[in-house]
Amino acid sequence: MVKKLKTNDKHINKLARLLTGPNAILYHKEDLLAYDCDGFTIHKHLPRAVVFPKNTEEVAKIVQYCAKHQLPFLARGAGTGLSGGATPLNNEVIISLVRMKKLISLDVENRRAVVEPGYINLKLTNSISDKGYYYAPDPSSQYACTIGGNVAENAGGAHCLKYGVTTNHILGLEVVLPNGEIIHLGNDGIPDTPGYDLIGLITGSEGTLGIVTKITVRILKNPEEKQTVLAYFDDVEDGSRAVSDIISTGIVPAAMEMMDKTAIEAVEAAAFPVGHPKDIEAVLLIEVDGISAGIEEQITDILNVCTSRNVREVKVAESEQERARWWANRKTGFGAMGAISPDYLVQDGVIPRSRLPEVLSRINQISEESGLRIANIFHAGDGNLHPLVLFDANKPGDTEKALEAGSACLKVCADVGGTITGEHGVGIEKIEEMRFVFSDSEINAQTEVREVFNPDNLLNAGKLFPSPGRCGEVKKAMKAVIS
Amino acid sequence: MISSTLIAEFASFLPENKIKVNDSADHPLGNGGKVTVYPSSLDEIVNVVKYANDHDRKVTVVGSGTKRGFGGLDKPADILLSLENYSGIIEHTVGNMTLTVKAGTVFNQLQHYLKDHKQKVSLDAAWPDHATIGGIIAANDSSAKRLGYGSARDVVIGLKTVYPDGSIIRSGGKVVKNVAGYDMNKLFVGSMGTLGVIAEITMKLRPLPKDETLVLLTVENDDLETIRSFVVSLLDTQLEPTSLELLAPSLSEKLTQIPKYTLAMSFEDVESSVAYQEDFLKKLKPAQTTMNVLKQENMEHFWNRFYTIGPNGAVSNTGDETVASIKVSVKNLDVLEVIKESNRLRDSHNLDVEAHGGLGHGICQIHVKGAKSDVVSAIHHLRGVAEKYGGHAVIKHLPYKLRQEINVWGENPPYFYLLDGIKKQIDPKRTLNNTRFVGGI
Amino acid sequence: MSLKEMIKDPTCTTKSLTNYKWKEHPDEEKWADCVHCGLCLEACPTYEITGQEQHSPRGRVHLIKSVAEGKLEVNERFMDPVFTCLDCRACETACPADVQVGGLIEEARGQIRQAMPLSGWKGMVSKVFLEGLFPYHNRLNKLGSLLGIYQKSGMQKAVRKTGLMKVMPQHLVDMEAVMPKVNPPARKKYKNQEVIKAKNESKQEVAFLTGCIMDVMFSDINESTINVLTRNGSDVTIPKNQTCCGALHVHAGNRETGRKLAKQNIEAFKDADTVVVNSAGCGCMLQDYPELFREEPEWQEKAEQFSKKVQDISKYLYDTGYETPSTPLNKRITYHDACHLAHGQNVREEPRDLLINIPGVEMVHMPNADRCCGSAGIYNITNPEMAGAVLESKMENVPEDVEMISMGNPGCMLQMAMGVEKYGRNQKIVHTVQVLDWAYKQDDEQKERGVPDG
Repeated sequence: MVKKLKTNDKHINKLARLLTGPNAILYHKEDLLAYDCDGFTIHKHLPRAVVFPKNTEEVAKIVQYCAKHQLPFLARGAGTGLSGGATPLNNEVIISLVRMKKLISLDVENRRAVVEPGYINLKLTNSISDKGYYYAPDPSSQYACTIGGNVAENAGGAHCLKYGVTTNHILGLEVVLPNGEIIHLGNDGIPDTPGYDLIGLITGSEGTLGIVTKITVRILKNPEEKQTVLAYFDDVEDGSRAVSDIISTGIVPAAMEMMDKTAIEAVEAAAFPVGHPKDIEAVLLIEVDGISAGIEEQITDILNVCTSRNVREVKVAESEQERARWWANRKTGFGAMGAISPDYLVQDGVIPRSRLPEVLSRINQISEESGLRIANIFHAGDGNLHPLVLFDANKPGDTEKALEAGSACLKVCADVGGTITGEHGVGIEKIEEMRFVFSDSEINAQTEVREVFNPDNLLNAGKLFPSPGRCGEVKKAMKAVIS
Repeated sequence: MISSTLIAEFASFLPENKIKVNDSADHPLGNGGKVTVYPSSLDEIVNVVKYANDHDRKVTVVGSGTKRGFGGLDKPADILLSLENYSGIIEHTVGNMTLTVKAGTVFNQLQHYLKDHKQKVSLDAAWPDHATIGGIIAANDSSAKRLGYGSARDVVIGLKTVYPDGSIIRSGGKVVKNVAGYDMNKLFVGSMGTLGVIAEITMKLRPLPKDETLVLLTVENDDLETIRSFVVSLLDTQLEPTSLELLAPSLSEKLTQIPKYTLAMSFEDVESSVAYQEDFLKKLKPAQTTMNVLKQENMEHFWNRFYTIGPNGAVSNTGDETVASIKVSVKNLDVLEVIKESNRLRDSHNLDVEAHGGLGHGICQIHVKGAKSDVVSAIHHLRGVAEKYGGHAVIKHLPYKLRQEINVWGENPPYFYLLDGIKKQIDPKRTLNNTRFVGGI
Repeated sequence: MSLKEMIKDPTCTTKSLTNYKWKEHPDEEKWADCVHCGLCLEACPTYEITGQEQHSPRGRVHLIKSVAEGKLEVNERFMDPVFTCLDCRACETACPADVQVGGLIEEARGQIRQAMPLSGWKGMVSKVFLEGLFPYHNRLNKLGSLLGIYQKSGMQKAVRKTGLMKVMPQHLVDMEAVMPKVNPPARKKYKNQEVIKAKNESKQEVAFLTGCIMDVMFSDINESTINVLTRNGSDVTIPKNQTCCGALHVHAGNRETGRKLAKQNIEAFKDADTVVVNSAGCGCMLQDYPELFREEPEWQEKAEQFSKKVQDISKYLYDTGYETPSTPLNKRITYHDACHLAHGQNVREEPRDLLINIPGVEMVHMPNADRCCGSAGIYNITNPEMAGAVLESKMENVPEDVEMISMGNPGCMLQMAMGVEKYGRNQKIVHTVQVLDWAYKQDDEQKERGVPDG
């Protein structure tokens, strides 16, 4: 016998009956408040309820119920997303997948693992490291973010230069479609299922095509050796030229990360200081991995490149602790902004690597014009730039200025042939900026695909795409006339 | 005559010398057209496609035709759209290691060009001297080195696709990391040209390795258990092979003169690392196996032959025998069973069989030749084997007539309506490559 | 709607009057640093158990902030997440922006306690233990001797045989089962000694906080602490007017009593240069005293000076140097990081160092060693279900094949002993300084027997 909940919302009581776990539904304002946004805090909205299914069937039941009663709904993992993908814009029922957090199976011989969507990214690596394996995508939030969320956002990370992003490591998915049907894609992680690559399409669709409930991922053998180099440059341009030079020598580093002066100030003031010199313009963190016998040669090449680009100081990590410290310093870089600014807005542009110096100077200009400081942290190897616009939301007008500056940074990225987001997703944050890179018909091409999966647009509506441009509307109207 | 009408109507946007009327549109492999058009610009492609769509004409897209025997149930289309003349490099930014090319560019031409810049497209595919990059990507072709390279979906970062209504849809871009909007590239890669004409392709490149080697391990007594345990222990080391391809005895004989199961393992890295891995393998070598190391010309010779063992749809099969090519996907180590079963077909079905499969990626390619009924029976048998291991079989090459009997893609998946739905959204009139893909989409 | 329109939308503007109506308003500076990144989630034991974000550090900070913004009231529903926090501070270690979640929680609890005074079982616990017992060491001593009599007289056995246990709440039954053997407290034993002299040459003088529970329940650990200190050249004083550190009161939102105790301790240790503590919870509280005096600048200054003098015993020994025992103590030991040592004081390597340097000791790694055990002061009494779930998760990480679990906090020791009992394990629960003391004793015995060092 299910106890009737203290609410006038009849749907809440009905949803509660579909769930079997303890305290599996939240519906009081005080509890819902923690779900009014994700890592993107500029816009907040309360959900109708938060439900905690414990298996795929419960997810499917909830979805079927929502579909039947036309209740908007969306899926949420750890809520570490940075573009508002999990923010309930339409008073959604949030389907939290964090209680589905099992490692279902591990098949070392065939190098794959099956996890539930609430499984934490770093936990996968930690739980297979004793066997010598790891899961390659390593977003900075990997301590907390879920693999389900990684699939939704096609998460990247510091090491995707060599190993690729999430989509390159997903072999199979179980998905609950917006009508509540459960489908299996890439059975057992077997490649090239006949038909369109729905795994590839759903990965990175920001939770608008379906809810992923099981994920088969590729796992990799730990490289025999890793070496990490830290290089300080007095000139950002030298640093960015060094990045291109290193790749031109034929090395594909596992990671190449750069931080500028403002970013250095923040990480040094925060939880994991390394002792970077205060007056340095850029720090470059380079990691190479692979067969030990080949590493030394690569390190020598890297040191030579750095020297030829006027490096002030360059050193190789001497211990695992030192390496870990350097990485902790870098990986907590966003959060560290809290130490030097009340608020920040992180952007996520990508540019062709060769345009880095030019783009950085244009970002500097934007900073000067807006009067806001902009710190730059970036995955230099793949051109993924994270300008962090520092502002104070309590200062009237500051938030708007920050948004404008952030958008201007993305415009610069788009103008040099890049894109507006490399790993954080569009969410609600970059909807308007989609127009920097896509025409109306190109946006329409994408919403057409969404319609196939999510015809009523109940699942995570209002994300990713700007409201249809004229072209799209005309086309739709024409279709209606034809049929 | 429909052809003459077409030429007249094409006149406004395509010069006559780019149109060829085909005397006979029928071809043993199907996928022909009454007229072949050879556009050499994006505008021309757009105009042809738009014209066809507006006038309810069917279009079949072709590169150099190596995959002509791959799918397709329809009678000859009105228009065979050849991208042969739409070739060449559009943009190569050496420092960014990205390359944009026209779809009709022949794969090896690309690789030769890139070699001068010490770069390459990290893909390997069949018939690289013939196959166009557009075809490789549309059919999602891959070969032995997929283990180290990844496949087309991992390499393509941007596409320019001409939709049936003539709109040019860009997906992805020129940068290696991009999550703006849906990952539409994935939709087009492997779509068999059923959604749009892939016209331009942007790929990420890799540096040419400084050194490369090929290690061949042959088991003397045909004992696949030896290979299995060797591979399991190899995969558990930190070696980084780019291929781990098992060759069935007949194929091994053709390529190495030794008619026994052979494992082809390639390594690409700096010299010291390649040498180290080679040495390591020697230590790992089990008893009753022989190991050969091929380098430079010998290695290249091996791979050149390896990539041309299967049927080439652009070359007519003159013999009476039926040729088929089957791609079986299973879990990595189940490749052993599939190759073993394939090898048995020689005796059980009296066929020529050339089979190989990647123990690091799970894809087997089995080329068979023989009497029609034996080929048909072998296909059914292999599909049964694939299904037994939870995998699937796709027939990559089969004469047109046989394709009417054998479903080359296998049964429709339960979610077929999604695939069909996507097709309907993008190509509601089924203008492009009609019936070429799963479930006749 | 574009983002710009959204933020102009009045439903999104949230500024209004605060709903914190009492003094010591939670400090805005503390939440301002939180950028909502969520890196704290996985560090939080209560989030691990519930999967619900109102029970995560980020969620709690968000709620505390929302009350200040007038979006929430200080009510029962707000109280639940705030009081479900274990105050383990693992989130502070995880936080890239150094948000002081623990401090915020305590301040919020202060508001809640003033808004809604406790009643019922929890009120009773609070009244009896926090206000009536801990601040008075003579009362504690009496309870201690009663416990001693209870155990020694055979009454414990008798009570266990009666049905009395059946009517006690389960968690108290569990606790009773693992109650340590009670010996006379150190404060009583050394009552007449002004200074306990170093065994050999005196190098420095330290004042020792004996703690309340520690001295009653675990007086042998205090004894060990004194032995180890004096053996390593410290003269030890036990200031007479010292009292309970107040941690439990502050955790419970009773900041007024906390402040009273703090003042007494600051005065009691006025003359000391170094205050050595062997209880992580107490040590952390003493170091946090300045937080209590945000509205009393004069005392805040004193508290600042005082807090700088406070050191955990393991860190003190590590920093000032200690004698490495020479006789092998052949034990397999794993180490549990008490939250208030690892997260509260950033003392992690020092106690491990003490253990590793004892010859014969084999250290076995405990995964997630710095995960809370669920003790959290009196949390295991007030929130038994959650404490039990956290303990279960902790015990899963305790390696099977060790003989001892070493740690630096009495609360953890009781809780972990309960875990060992409950899950049928057989490890001995020890304080790090005890292990060192035993090693020294072995050395002494060897010496007596005339066996040369080495």
